[in-house]
Amino acid sequence: MAFKSLKDISFAVPKSWPKPHYDFTKNPLSTSKIELGRVLFYDPILSKNNTISCASCHSQYTAFTHVDHSLSHGIDDRIGTRNSPTLMNLAWHSSFMWDGAINHLDMQALAPISHPDEMGEKIETVVPKLQASKNYRSLFYKAFGDSVITGQHTLKALSQFMLTLVSANSKYDSVMRKQTQFTVQEKNGYVLFQKNCASCHAEPLFTNLQFENNGLALDTTLNDYGRMKITKNKNDSLKFKVPTLRNIEFSYPYMHDGRFKRLSDVLKHYTTGVQHGKTLAKQLEQPILLSSNQRVDLTAFLLTLTDREFLFNPKYSFPKNNLK
Amino acid sequence: MRFICSAIVCVLFCVNILSAQTNKIHAITFHPMYGESKLEIDSSYKLGVNDNLQIEALKFYISSIELLDKGKVVWKEDNSFHLIDISNQKTLTVLCNIPSTISYDQVKFNLGIDSLTNVSGAMGGDLDPTKGMYWTWQSGYINFKLEGKSNVCKTRLNEFQLHLGGYQSPFNTLRSVVLDVAQNERADISIDIKQLLKTIDLSTQHHIMSPGAEAILVSENAIKTFSIQKN
Repeated sequence: MAFKSLKDISFAVPKSWPKPHYDFTKNPLSTSKIELGRVLFYDPILSKNNTISCASCHSQYTAFTHVDHSLSHGIDDRIGTRNSPTLMNLAWHSSFMWDGAINHLDMQALAPISHPDEMGEKIETVVPKLQASKNYRSLFYKAFGDSVITGQHTLKALSQFMLTLVSANSKYDSVMRKQTQFTVQEKNGYVLFQKNCASCHAEPLFTNLQFENNGLALDTTLNDYGRMKITKNKNDSLKFKVPTLRNIEFSYPYMHDGRFKRLSDVLKHYTTGVQHGKTLAKQLEQPILLSSNQRVDLTAFLLTLTDREFLFNPKYSFPKNNLK
Repeated sequence: MRFICSAIVCVLFCVNILSAQTNKIHAITFHPMYGESKLEIDSSYKLGVNDNLQIEALKFYISSIELLDKGKVVWKEDNSFHLIDISNQKTLTVLCNIPSTISYDQVKFNLGIDSLTNVSGAMGGDLDPTKGMYWTWQSGYINFKLEGKSNVCKTRLNEFQLHLGGYQSPFNTLRSVVLDVAQNERADISIDIKQLLKTIDLSTQHHIMSPGAEAILVSENAIKTFSIQKN
């Protein structure tokens, strides 16, 4: 039963955006729960040896992903098998992870907490660690009216913080709201984007939230077949979740295994590198042809998806007042 | 007028007393068995001639408990999710608070957690993910967990681990059990692990840890091992 208080706040859906997928009636937002989630997000107490927090691989200034590493690393410098995804606009997502293994935002945090190459911990152990902390007993009491800490409350608080990570104030958004205008170059890029990219990277989320094979060659050091591992269906071989392009300027490296360091590498892949296999997205069957000028224009448009208000919003940063 | 009011108050009061008295408890107790004997953690059992096995964990979810009368549902438990854990005696009995007036001849329950609950986010109580019955790498409840050792398992420490779960088609492992019960205060239900293990070749099938065809087959065999205990 959701604990309701007068402090419940409503989730603001940006104008003309679709209805969120997340069911807020089962986890009504409140400032105290969001703050608890934020403290948990930044606290390495969630990891086995208290060294890695969620923020270790999901840093605000890079759109909540892990830059400089193609594959993200966890406790004891262990290397995982995938590039950590960005965290933005999660209320609209119905599945999580590159392969959609996770079916609900609430359950998402269990995966990195438990993975031996990430936090190497168990929620069964995290809860007693939190319970032993006077600070957390107080924060949970403020949030849920109960200082007895449960897995459910821990996960719901983490969800609340992640739900608030909404990026909807880039230059692109201002242009859509008719508050400003694209440059000629950006406008040309937007036309190219709509023609060549938008069927998968659909506006306004810049992802259609589906799983697609975008023609990357299999990395035989990882042998990651993506979605097929979850569905056991060969039609899902080499399909990965379409990532958002919002804040792409800062979320490098790109792709599920972080194989491309620069946006120019990504455009090169889509224009000349696509591998034709049985499950290739049908939109990529015909080559995408872009002149070098067009690549510059398209890149200029992609940079309008940078949302500095999001990247530097103090509400999302390290909770120095409450993380003790 | 006053008389009518008093009469109404009296009737309401009586109804109140009556309704307070009209419920009774029907206790369903699960008895983990190994053939004819009570199943005990870490005791040694035999399946074939030359083997030797021990059970280290047996945990499973019972959900959506219903009572039936001639095939029709006459009572269903609200919010019906129970984690049965052989290592925690008090979880073996489920108390159902039922109206004393109803007649019933069968009890029905699911072994596992339904798909809607599986996709509804973080739950509390017996469904809290700290109960060790939730997969972390791929969302979903483990419906049934059986772990132990057998010398026929050529695995590290001879261990076997059967974690049955999966809620998505075509690998939905949720199955229901229907048993004939007498209209008593209690039903004693056996679950015979020997009967289940007889359907499995532990030398090859020692680890089931994800949804799939194997989990479905073992789940179907698992529901057949529930029976009403003959007193």
